[in-house]
Amino acid sequence: MIKALLRLLSDDAPVFRRYVVMALSYGLLSGATIAAAVPLLGSLLRGDGEGAGRWLAILLVGVVACWLLRRRVEIAGIGVGLAILGGARLRIGDHVARLPVGWFTSENTARLGHIVTHGMMEIAQLPAHVVTPLVSGAVTPLVVVSALFVLDGSMGLIGLVTLPLMVGVFVLSARLGRAADTAYQMSAAETSQRAVEFAQAQSVLRAFNGEGGGVRFLEGAIESQHRSGRRLIWLSTLSVVLNVWILQAAFAALVIAAASRLTSDVSVPEIVAVVAAMLLAVRFVDPLLDVAAFGAAVRGARNQLAEVDRVLTEDPLSEPVNPQCPRDASVELRDVTFGYRRGEPAVVSGVSLRVEPGSMLALIGASGSGKTTLMRMVARFFDADAGQVMIGGVDIRDISSKDLSAQISQIFQDSWLFQGSIADNIRIGRPGATDDDIRAAAQLAGVDEIADRLPDGFDTIVGEGGARLSGGERQRVAIARGLIKDSPILLVDEATAALDAENQEAIARTLSRLRGKRTVLVIAHQLSTVRMADAIVVMENGRVAEKGSPRELEARDGLYRHFLQQRQAAKGWRIGA
Amino acid sequence: MSEDKAISGAERRSPVRRLLHPVRMRLAVAVVLATVGQALVLVPLAGIAVIAKLALVDGAGDASGDIPGVVAISLFCLVAGMALVTAGELLAHLADNWLTVRLRKALVDRLSKVPLGWFSTHASGAVRQAIQDDITTLHELTAHYYTTYGRCVGAIAISVVYLLAIDWRLAVLALLPFPLFHLIFGAAKRSITEERLKDFIAGQSRISNAVVEFISGIPVVKAFGAAGRAHEGYRDAVDGFQKAFLRFTGPLVIPLANANAIITPVTVLAFTLAFGSLFVHLGWITAVDVLPFALVAPGISGPMMLLGFLGHAVANATGAAERVQSLLDTPLLEQPAPGSSMRPEGTEIRFEGVRYAYDGPNDVVCDIDFTLEPGTVTAIVGPSGAGKSTIARLLLRFFDPDRGRITLGGVDLRQIASTDLYRRIGFVLQDVRLIHATLGDNIALGRPSASRQAVEAAARLANIHDRIMALPRGYDTVVGQDARLSGGEEQRVAIARAILLDPPVLVLDEATAAADAESEAAVQSALSGFASGRTLLVIAHRLDTITHADRIIVMERGRIVEVGKHADLLALNGCYARLWRAGGYGDHMPETAICEVTP
Repeated sequence: MIKALLRLLSDDAPVFRRYVVMALSYGLLSGATIAAAVPLLGSLLRGDGEGAGRWLAILLVGVVACWLLRRRVEIAGIGVGLAILGGARLRIGDHVARLPVGWFTSENTARLGHIVTHGMMEIAQLPAHVVTPLVSGAVTPLVVVSALFVLDGSMGLIGLVTLPLMVGVFVLSARLGRAADTAYQMSAAETSQRAVEFAQAQSVLRAFNGEGGGVRFLEGAIESQHRSGRRLIWLSTLSVVLNVWILQAAFAALVIAAASRLTSDVSVPEIVAVVAAMLLAVRFVDPLLDVAAFGAAVRGARNQLAEVDRVLTEDPLSEPVNPQCPRDASVELRDVTFGYRRGEPAVVSGVSLRVEPGSMLALIGASGSGKTTLMRMVARFFDADAGQVMIGGVDIRDISSKDLSAQISQIFQDSWLFQGSIADNIRIGRPGATDDDIRAAAQLAGVDEIADRLPDGFDTIVGEGGARLSGGERQRVAIARGLIKDSPILLVDEATAALDAENQEAIARTLSRLRGKRTVLVIAHQLSTVRMADAIVVMENGRVAEKGSPRELEARDGLYRHFLQQRQAAKGWRIGA
Repeated sequence: MSEDKAISGAERRSPVRRLLHPVRMRLAVAVVLATVGQALVLVPLAGIAVIAKLALVDGAGDASGDIPGVVAISLFCLVAGMALVTAGELLAHLADNWLTVRLRKALVDRLSKVPLGWFSTHASGAVRQAIQDDITTLHELTAHYYTTYGRCVGAIAISVVYLLAIDWRLAVLALLPFPLFHLIFGAAKRSITEERLKDFIAGQSRISNAVVEFISGIPVVKAFGAAGRAHEGYRDAVDGFQKAFLRFTGPLVIPLANANAIITPVTVLAFTLAFGSLFVHLGWITAVDVLPFALVAPGISGPMMLLGFLGHAVANATGAAERVQSLLDTPLLEQPAPGSSMRPEGTEIRFEGVRYAYDGPNDVVCDIDFTLEPGTVTAIVGPSGAGKSTIARLLLRFFDPDRGRITLGGVDLRQIASTDLYRRIGFVLQDVRLIHATLGDNIALGRPSASRQAVEAAARLANIHDRIMALPRGYDTVVGQDARLSGGEEQRVAIARAILLDPPVLVLDEATAAADAESEAAVQSALSGFASGRTLLVIAHRLDTITHADRIIVMERGRIVEVGKHADLLALNGCYARLWRAGGYGDHMPETAICEVTP
């Protein structure tokens, strides 16, 4: 747990270490100060005024020192919390941005959201409100128990035996709750994920809710969170009972031991010692009870930390040690194989192809044939399991991610728009772009027509994910974003980018304008696009089935011919005939 | 908000009290148990003092007979007290668990009935926050706050009363640190302005939204390099939150540290013993009467500190409760009163003078009048943003028209129970949304009780059965986890879903848009088989697929500009003809279009 916290804090770890050392010293100091109360009380009870005065002075000095130290501990604790809320959150962001896109399954993204919002808040509270009382609460009794030994051997022994016993019970009760707690956290993450899905897929869920089927997934998740919550309650009650009762049992034993010493033949100094020992017994058990009360908070934070750690230990895409620059705008794949998951058939296997600088390659093939994956691999969304993807003669793993993204512009189906204006979203393509540049790209992509229609024009706010625009409009903004980037290699997924007639036009305009000037890889949908290409690759089941110029392939009786026929069939189809 | 305040007494109560109302009795019992229990737990301290006094004053020899009795009573109180505290906390937790599931379900239920437009103006992160995070925050209040409060009060009350009874002068002086603590703490708390608190809460929800956006936008972030502003949005939110947090807590750090230092057990012990020594020195009390103070007073520190810390939970929970309550108060899409819903006769659909506008830039349509005769095919075409999809969504009652009405079988949609409505109207919309569940469950979404055979039959009609069977886990494949489907395949799953529902009216929106050639052929053959004999409304983007429609409605900027058959509309040489030419279909113009031109 501490290791995970230090990993999370990374550069800020010294802040945490300093803080823990301070909290430890504070615990020791306050234990010693409390011990000083024993001779003071003894002097008082014996009627030794001078001794009482001396010990009182010592006690007061100790208290002032405690006060000063405590203030510094608290300030240091807040500092750690701030480091978690700021630095560690940013660190997670930076780390996550370097993970391969393949990592972002819906399950992982839901967990990540939960961690960054809720989890980090819980972890940040930890130092200020939990660690300080916990550390000092654990250290103070150690000092007190030594003082107890001095006063009364048998009571000291009871105290000493209690400590390992207590640790054992704490560990046992933590184990007891752990499985249930993990189950609860998982069902909570599931509910979170379902809640996001519920909001995003609301239209579909609502229309298909005839038999309550639409909400049953979210309700099922809520129910299972409810059930695991119930289990957790019983188990954590049991563990609280165990923790608290073992301590109170120790307290009872101490009281009984003390009382049994007060037999009829005991002398006054001995009575005084027993009474002082009982005071120490109270001061021994009290802080430990506080420690026990923090058990739940610690367990919760530990789970959050484990989740954070799972993300932070995920391997990012490697950055080259000696980055090289691509020599030209060619794209080449050498015997590339890739699968999304181990143990499943590869999505792309043994693909080799080359696109000369300035030429245009059209990828075609049935859905699921690996076209999209191939295209994404060129943009290094994931690394190949075997083989090489090269740009300008350099393996893309040897190109820095900055250089790589400068080489490639993408018009893909993941046309996520950020909250902000249309212009902002286009400007993502080239942060330094002028308004004129934006207008030019917008015109080419047909976004000017959208902006004209909207009250605030290019400054219209698009909403989360572009929710306020229609699907086709979103795509066109994404096209403009890809265009303004103006990089030597252009990747286009026409099949999903060309949602409607206007988009088709925008894509066609783009392709015919950039043809010959850029290296273009396009997943082609339109016949006109396919015919525009210098070369065609037909994919089938993750392999290259046919390769050649449009003319060559048309002459051959292969898949491409079949594709052409199918396009004709689609054209010939009519609704309502 | 102002309306809410005017409604009734119940509505005027604080959101926390409104939300917790159903469990208030259980909580009250839990609090009493915890308070009494904690008071009993402290009895042994008094017991020790009594034992000490017996031993020192009466002499151990005389007292040894009474001591076992005192020990027994002390230990009995200890055990009974702990049992009561445990029972109280268990009760509060169970009440919370009971309430939590009901609140979550109430939220889901409520949000399932609000106009769909609500979801395009509220981020999905906000929905998640309310359903998951905010209700979890409430747990702090329901399950922990009240019982902890009770325990603290019980402990402090019995301690103070006990010490006052022994010697009120020393009690007042020994307990001095606690009022001091409250003075400092209170002054610090007053320095938190309403504005700062709001800033802090706003910062929290900004983080939540920025996270959804950041994670969803990762592909874009990667595509445009780290220099893109995408990442920046997240950084800004984190920095902004940290600043708000600093401004919120910054002025509190030093005063709180002082306040906490003042009531640590060691400080309180020192105070007690210092004044105790003074009193003994002055001869005001005996030394043995100082002992109860030394035993009991430092024990007040823990509960007192906890009380201060509890304030956080209340502040957090109040913010959370406000958010949850405001979602629970979201205006509903009007539903027919129970018993007053009417069953539509037949499947004729009429739009009568329909107008709809809301703050989204595109969703404005007005003066919409048309009829869909049973068994006919109607296509709506027009440039992007013309309002085509809005028409489909109005028909599906994602929202209600501002003016005019839409009827199905002669009954206003607002008078039809939504289950009745969706049994009659099915759809395939442009955003194909598959649920994170098995393919089988996705197809059976509208009819969870459907048999496997029925699901497979629907999948066959949608031309997706073979593809599903080719997956290692077949219909049990979990979408997005076990396998990734292409856009075209997802669309065919969505069609299978509509087929299984078997509605007499079908709405297709851009149904064939996201398909590649292979899929498109498959999708279209699936649709044409399924569509025959039904009332069909097609929101079309590719004009060549709808030339044979019984009627084509052309929309532009939210209004119907032309209505007619393909050939008539071409002859009109208006908007439709322009779209037709722009689409580049001119070369493949169907014969009918050429032959049936009328002057």
